[in-house]
Amino acid sequence: MTQVKFYGYGLPMMKKGELPGRLIVLEGTDGVGRSTQVALLREWLESSGYAVVSSGLKRSNLAGKGISLAQEGHHLGDATSCLFYATDLADRLERETIPALRAGFVVLTDRYIYSVIARALVRGIARKWVHNVLGFALVPDKVFYLRADLNHLIPRVLNARGFNYWESGMDFMSKRDYYDSYVEYQSQIIAQFDAMGDEFNFHLIDATHSVHDVFVDLRNGISKLIKGMRLGSPRMPKKKR
Amino acid sequence: MAKLPNGKQLPGKLFVVEGIDGSGKSTQLDLLRKWLISEGYCVAFSEWNSSPVVRATTRRGKKKQILSPTTFSLIHAADFADRMEQQMLPALKAGAIVLADRYMYTAFGRDVVRGVHPQWVRKIYSFAVRPTVAFYFRVPLQESINRIALGRPQLKYYEAGLDLGLSNDPFESFRLFQKRITREYEKMVDEFGLTVIDATLRLTEQQEMIREIVVPHLKGVLKAERSAWRDVLTKEQLYGRYLMDIGAERGQK
Repeated sequence: MTQVKFYGYGLPMMKKGELPGRLIVLEGTDGVGRSTQVALLREWLESSGYAVVSSGLKRSNLAGKGISLAQEGHHLGDATSCLFYATDLADRLERETIPALRAGFVVLTDRYIYSVIARALVRGIARKWVHNVLGFALVPDKVFYLRADLNHLIPRVLNARGFNYWESGMDFMSKRDYYDSYVEYQSQIIAQFDAMGDEFNFHLIDATHSVHDVFVDLRNGISKLIKGMRLGSPRMPKKKR
Repeated sequence: MAKLPNGKQLPGKLFVVEGIDGSGKSTQLDLLRKWLISEGYCVAFSEWNSSPVVRATTRRGKKKQILSPTTFSLIHAADFADRMEQQMLPALKAGAIVLADRYMYTAFGRDVVRGVHPQWVRKIYSFAVRPTVAFYFRVPLQESINRIALGRPQLKYYEAGLDLGLSNDPFESFRLFQKRITREYEKMVDEFGLTVIDATLRLTEQQEMIREIVVPHLKGVLKAERSAWRDVLTKEQLYGRYLMDIGAERGQK
């Protein structure tokens, strides 16, 4: 059961109680393999008979497109960016995540508020402010933190797509070089995640291991969470004959 | 003084107007703006819900009617933050006058009426510059509704507050919505020290009062040579026929 519990002031008009689904978050830095694992986990869960939805940052109907467009022009200031991401999270939470949890789905989400917090804090935004803004967020059943150090991350990023403007923190780092900037920025982000571990009760997963090892770790962790859940997709109304 | 949230004074001045729809605040701000420009001051203007980066998303949300009280509040805060970071703050640091048509108090009114927590939304806007003067245009509900009804044959969904489910009739919903917002504004007069303007007075009377309040704050504010080209025209006997095209007379019309 997902308890209806929020980090802050919560969502207006949302009743306390329990939701039959599970909210599971995968967090970690860029290139650590979150999306690969979400894809694998979803398939495993579905083949085991669970109903699953997956979600991730910038995928809201309302704000996803707007954020991507704004980032193309490198136009986003720090507070603006944080509030834009908050809009995206709130929209998905209200319109997708909570209805899915109510219907008994397992919701796998690739990043949650913690990524938004980490990015804001390294840019010098006040912690209290960010926490208040994101106070509408539902507390998940579990947060898996996929951790890998830079030595493991860099080859993966180079193999996959190279360094990207935002992932290298080029919007605020003083270095003009993508590589230097990436190293410095991602180290700071990792430090923020590490510091959040206790506060938000992260379950640490060593993501320097092989994809298969990471998958097994995640599967073991999730198996415990879904024990006792009713199998099968949410009941469809029976067709009248 | 316009002040940063940490109390640090900015060289520029920030004047904002607030009030329900149809209170006449935009008209008054426009008159003030034209007057300040004619007096040679550097004036920047920022309007609620006009960020070039965020506005398209807000419009999408309104058009598709997919905004909840929480996302409505957050997207307007994002719009405000963008304008604060890109328009208002740089101008205030440079020592200019910034005029804002609606400010955070609009969010404190509308969003709270929609059901978000008053402290949550106040804390979100804690990064906002504290205005030099915030004018609140107090108007009887019926008067403002008459003004709106004259200009607008149809009210939009969120504008009328139809998302609150107060009434199915847009005009009745609008009336109930505005009434609740007025209640919030009245609470804010003391909370934030808003300067109340009686919006039932004649336009010119209101404008006089506003200028009287603004003038003492204008000492040392950045002035701009608005007509630097005038000198050339006289000396060279030109008309400046094409200066209009490049916007040299912007703000003087």
